[in-house]
Amino acid sequence: MSEAGAAPPSAGRRYGSMSRPRGAALWWPVLLVALSIAILAGGAVPGGALQLANPDTARVSEVDEAFDALPDDALVLVAMDGDLGTYPEIRPAVRAALDDLLRRGAALAFVSVSVEGRAIAVAELARLGAVGVDADGLLDLGYVSGVEAGLVRLVTDALPPGAEGAMASTIEERGGGLSAFDLFLLVGGTDVGPRTWVEQVGTRLPQKPMVGLAPTFAQPELAPYLRTSQLVALLATVRDDAAYVESVGDDAEAENPADRLPSAAAMLLGMLVALVVLAQALGGALPRLRRPAPRPAVEDDEA
Amino acid sequence: MTGFFDEGLAGVVATWVAALVTIGVWAYLVGERRFFRLAQHLLAGLATGYFTVLAVREVLLPRLVEPMVSDPGGNLLLWPALLLVLAMAGAHWLARPVVAVPAAILVAGVAAFALGGAVVGTLLPQMAGALLPPGPVSSIVNGLIGLAITALVLLGFLHGVPRSRLMAGAAGTGRWLLLGGIGGWLGFLLVSRLALLVDRLQFLLGDWLGIAR
Repeated sequence: MSEAGAAPPSAGRRYGSMSRPRGAALWWPVLLVALSIAILAGGAVPGGALQLANPDTARVSEVDEAFDALPDDALVLVAMDGDLGTYPEIRPAVRAALDDLLRRGAALAFVSVSVEGRAIAVAELARLGAVGVDADGLLDLGYVSGVEAGLVRLVTDALPPGAEGAMASTIEERGGGLSAFDLFLLVGGTDVGPRTWVEQVGTRLPQKPMVGLAPTFAQPELAPYLRTSQLVALLATVRDDAAYVESVGDDAEAENPADRLPSAAAMLLGMLVALVVLAQALGGALPRLRRPAPRPAVEDDEA
Repeated sequence: MTGFFDEGLAGVVATWVAALVTIGVWAYLVGERRFFRLAQHLLAGLATGYFTVLAVREVLLPRLVEPMVSDPGGNLLLWPALLLVLAMAGAHWLARPVVAVPAAILVAGVAAFALGGAVVGTLLPQMAGALLPPGPVSSIVNGLIGLAITALVLLGFLHGVPRSRLMAGAAGTGRWLLLGGIGGWLGFLLVSRLALLVDRLQFLLGDWLGIAR
């Protein structure tokens, strides 16, 4: 108490009303430095003991099967609805999937029903153009407002006003709606993602295969759709993403790799720190759990 | 490499701005709020500008203004949309009933699409998948376990109703199962956020400082 009272007045204002344990401000820089060292150290020892990829490649096989089933010169719709806060986690897998599809001769059309997804779609289209992907193999269907209502409209009318080119003509010949596509690659984020597409488009075009790519936190929500075959494949964990990137062809040895997976050493260190924090919290909570809980005033078994 | 920034001067400037803003946000962790607030304001300003440009260029002009200018009489359904846009833009002189009807249709339509999709696309297929598990015995066991957990968690939400000691025990078990489920989901969230943190560090060390390419 005396120490807190002797602290300079600015210290109280610095943290405002937030109560932080003493020394908490120092832990973060230490953690960041430790993670940085882990990244540098992990980068010096490629592969081997620190493998991020999932040895169980069942999810990767499902993606491969979905892509293998595509016809020649397939049209694939990339529903880019990731958000800026979570996209970095799935970015390597998304790029690997795009490269994989382009290598198989598929043409890609990008559409977004979320505003952040639209920004990511524009950036990815620019990146693909910059690395020399044939412009005839790419089509920008733009941003569609209204989320659910917009998706329903896309089913019958996917071409924006003024869309032109070989792929736009093919879509027009096939009816102009989403049924023109052979596969949907659904890139999800926090708000909009594979679930919304399954609910709005999958119910109207149940014969079209859908492949989901989503951040890890969405895995519990999306896994049931895989079981009911509403999604034919799903990559929604860092390990599955890493396994897929490796299966497509890891270009980590290249001079300018297209993207980089999260450092396995840093992920391991971060998880260990999280486990220590969790164990500490559990240790602090156990004495309270042993005490009998006070009986609530309203809820009563014998009432 | 994020791959979003090119090799030219614009790419160098973008990388430096991204790196400095990242460090500015992290400065909050050690109690320095000024850079964090600056980054917040920058984000809010950029997002507002981006949303405005997106709405005007990709929605209002191609979907509302151009069709109405080219054929005002042939796009009757766009007139209510125009009224809504005017009301949102602050046209208080519009009579409330004139705006209320299209607004009600809009809200009801969005709710109907969302609810209908949730029932037809999620609830019914998932119930069918859980109740009629195809395949081996393990699927049936999994389905029964899922059914038991669902029932116990639903019992955990029974509050303020008379119940026996057995029901109270089941409700308590349901609440613990619910907590376990939330804990499991938080585990997924932790991995997700950790991957993002590592990605940012890799950006700083690789793209910015060039020591971890």
